[in-house]
Amino acid sequence: MGSEGTSTRNLKGLLLIGPPLAVMVCLLLYPAGVSIVQTLQETAADGSVSWSLARYHRFFTDPYSVANYVRTVWTTVVTLILLIAICLPIAIYLHFTRSRLAAVVQALALFPMFVPGIIVAYALIRYIGPNGLLQSLLEVVGFNSYSSPYLTPWGPVIGLVWDHMPLTLLILTAGMAKVSQEAIEAARDVGAGYVVIFHRIILPLMVESLLVVMALNVISLFGSFVIPYMLGPASPEMMGPYMLRTFSEVRQPDFAAAQAVITFLTCSVFGILYVVMLTRKQDV
Amino acid sequence: MKIRASTIVGSIIMLVLIAYVVMPIATVFLWAFAEKWTYPALLPTEWGLKYWHTTLARADVLSALRLSLALSVTVTLLSAVICLPAAYAFARMEFVGRRTFMMSFLAINAFPRFGLIVMIATLFLSLRLVGTFWGIVLVQLLNTMLIMIWLPSAAFRGVDRRLEEAARDVGAGPVRTFIRITIPQAAPAIGAAMLLTFVSTFYETEGAWLVGAPKLRTMPMVMLQMITGQIVVQYGAVLSVLLWVPSFIALLFARRVLASNQFAKGFGA
Repeated sequence: MGSEGTSTRNLKGLLLIGPPLAVMVCLLLYPAGVSIVQTLQETAADGSVSWSLARYHRFFTDPYSVANYVRTVWTTVVTLILLIAICLPIAIYLHFTRSRLAAVVQALALFPMFVPGIIVAYALIRYIGPNGLLQSLLEVVGFNSYSSPYLTPWGPVIGLVWDHMPLTLLILTAGMAKVSQEAIEAARDVGAGYVVIFHRIILPLMVESLLVVMALNVISLFGSFVIPYMLGPASPEMMGPYMLRTFSEVRQPDFAAAQAVITFLTCSVFGILYVVMLTRKQDV
Repeated sequence: MKIRASTIVGSIIMLVLIAYVVMPIATVFLWAFAEKWTYPALLPTEWGLKYWHTTLARADVLSALRLSLALSVTVTLLSAVICLPAAYAFARMEFVGRRTFMMSFLAINAFPRFGLIVMIATLFLSLRLVGTFWGIVLVQLLNTMLIMIWLPSAAFRGVDRRLEEAARDVGAGPVRTFIRITIPQAAPAIGAAMLLTFVSTFYETEGAWLVGAPKLRTMPMVMLQMITGQIVVQYGAVLSVLLWVPSFIALLFARRVLASNQFAKGFGA
């Protein structure tokens, strides 16, 4: 390719990436920009347009909207903590174990990746729901005071952990590759216990992966829809179902767009964190 | 014989995962073949295929299935046509801003999806795209781009250049080399990306609902309605088994790509 001029090469490359770039501009940057501007504008009866924060004021003074927002934050935080508490030990276990059992554990933990959210939600209703299979099983072993998390705030948490486990685990196991067996053994030789090894060796090497996991999951959890819609209580509800109802049932697309902008702004900190973590990777 | 600590830990994790991950799916399979299952029986009290006939005879199921398949095929092909040349460019060409543009595609994940869909749907209202087939195609297209660029791009980068050079040395032109040498080596990853796109588009719910409803109803929307309607439990179970088994088998073909570091790297691992 040495005979080509730099500008020809640039032009060829840019032409090839042009179509997806155009799609991204039209379906991401443009709608986002338009929404942000329009939710800040108000059209008076005579057709004149003025700037206004009325929709945002409405959101933050409406107790129902605020309750939905708080519920979304709570669900996101609790789910994230549970995800890390479940996936980090599994990632550590998988990193240090080579056995058929470890392969089974890995397959089981990645299995949810092969199950669409809507089927998970249905499966969990039948399993953990009132008079579901779990309750029947528990009664067989003599546990009679089961109260179902279905339609409580814990319903979406259980479903979202299920759904987000594989990707979280994949990112954490990729991060564990940096932790060498030799480093652990050297620490063991000088008498370090499990807690010290975790705290001093594993955790510092895993900070980046944990940040990626946090950013990616917060963004995804905050705007989740199918699972909270099916497993969660009707009121207060998470932002996903709330936005959908505002758009399709209450038919107030302007207010739904304002809710979307608020979701965007809340997630923007994590979005920026995510992009920063991405740009630190060398092999793109 | 001494049992190793890792075996105990592994067994505990496995049992928890079976109870949490496998059992819910097993419950759906039981329901799909149950004609009667009353609490607190551990297994259906009457087995049968009655509900398979009644579910498949429903007109709304068949029309939704047709619409969902048409959408998934259209979105997958459109995404491939748009993204594969870009994937090749990212992998094999040097041009100004290459890294920045690649980053910008990966950064799609930095936006909360549902918020974005609401914004797109609001825009589509004024463009009169709400309630149209192509409106749904467009809203679903954005989600597919990351995978359709990232996975094939990694595959194009991994193509053995010596084979290409050897082909050129014995007189093959650039087009022939590309078709006979480059494409076959990247084909598994491209196939996996297309399978993933097809399956995820088939089950995409939010965009199709916001842009399509109430005029156009896709399969996930019919399933949602049957599940939350809850009059007959088995409808949802039959549909879940019926639709999930083919997609599961399809994804199994792509599993080497799915469970790989390369896939995780697309998300910043």
